[in-house]
Amino acid sequence: MTESPLAIYALFHLGPIAVTEPVAVTWGLMLLLVGGSILLTRRLALHPTARQAALELLVTTIEGQIRDTMRVAPARYLPLIGTLLLFIFFANWSALVPGVEPPTAHIETDAALALIVFAAMVYHGVRARGLRGYLATFAEPTYVMVPLNLVETITRTFSMIVRLFGNVMSGVFVIGIVLSLVGLLVPVPLMALDLLTGAVQAYIFTVLAMVFIGGAAGDDAEGKDNKDRTP
Amino acid sequence: MRFDWSTLALQTVNVLVLLWLLRRFLFRPVRAIIAARQASAETLLADAAATRAQAEAQAADIARQQERMAAEGQRIIAEARREAEAERATILAQAQHEVAASRDAALAALAREREAMRLGLEGEARHLSVIIASRLLGRLSAKAIESALLESLLRRLDALSDDEREALTVPGAELQVVTAEPLDPASRTTWTQTLERVLHGQHNLHFAVDPSLIGGVELRGTHARVRNSWQADLERVAQELEKDDERLAVA
Repeated sequence: MTESPLAIYALFHLGPIAVTEPVAVTWGLMLLLVGGSILLTRRLALHPTARQAALELLVTTIEGQIRDTMRVAPARYLPLIGTLLLFIFFANWSALVPGVEPPTAHIETDAALALIVFAAMVYHGVRARGLRGYLATFAEPTYVMVPLNLVETITRTFSMIVRLFGNVMSGVFVIGIVLSLVGLLVPVPLMALDLLTGAVQAYIFTVLAMVFIGGAAGDDAEGKDNKDRTP
Repeated sequence: MRFDWSTLALQTVNVLVLLWLLRRFLFRPVRAIIAARQASAETLLADAAATRAQAEAQAADIARQQERMAAEGQRIIAEARREAEAERATILAQAQHEVAASRDAALAALAREREAMRLGLEGEARHLSVIIASRLLGRLSAKAIESALLESLLRRLDALSDDEREALTVPGAELQVVTAEPLDPASRTTWTQTLERVLHGQHNLHFAVDPSLIGGVELRGTHARVRNSWQADLERVAQELEKDDERLAVA
């Protein structure tokens, strides 16, 4: 019997801080993403190579998603949304590497991502509407809705955590069970399904982050920022 | 299952650091190069638009120049046509004038030729008439003619003035007596005696023959001569006829 995928173990300690496997894998992913970015953006030119064109296509696609979902100029939100998409996507697909468990299969990583989205939502809401205006959104359409809106804000953040964690963890869990039962080749279709699920969940998480942040920004997203929206 | 708060904190920091790093090394450079390309494309489009506007302006200038050139060409053609018409009229008038002049010259030449031919024919006719008269007179008796002409010569000598007679009979000079046929010695004696009587004295007479006289006799002195022959008469007739023709031509 394999060990529980829900279990988390410290690989080593940096002083009082225990470095667990998700953290180590995340560092590996960071190294991969940053190193790859440096390599890919090393020789950018006005006449792009195929590699540069693919990179620009990725960035412009993310910008297009931001523009379509949030109805806003994408420049301000691109780093956050792009980082979320790339990190979750590569984290989910890190299961392809033998012996590596996706960081997103652990709830601490998903909670960290959802916490960042929550903070971004509050930041952009306050930036766009002001503190009073942002707080006033909780009283819409009436003051009676204040408790429900507060609960909704919390629960939808939790829903993001649970959705991502549940999908990725379940995939890892199922593959682990199948591997323990039948061994080689049989889990391959399930792994492929897990990859698809991982890509879809990265997209869903990112879209939800855009929807929540865009909803918090409100008029800023539909008004002022819309002026510099590129067609 | 347990929740590891330190992992949550580390992952939060990790994602935030990753966010900053990707913003620094991925999104900003890519957006910058895209923006640069867009700026370059806009610059190119602006340049293309400016070039197009310039080309359109040049095309409009060229069109205007073509219109001006076409108008200038039409003007030049019209002017050339007018000049050609004037030249043609001038040439035509000149040709007509030359034709008229040539015709007049030809008519004048024709008239002159006709006149010359007429005069030639008349001269020929006179010559023929002299020949005919000479032949007719040649059939007459030489003696009779000689006798008649001697009398006629004597009458003419009688009619001479003193000055004319002195011019004819210079002393010591030879006085020729020319006849159409040779005179026999008797006739010569008769002529000598008659002339000495008429000319009052002896003279150095010398008898000569000139068939062109047809008939009659001529006295040829140093400074004068007395013509009393058919030839002289016929020449006088011919001269009179020519004078009549000239008077008619002048009229």
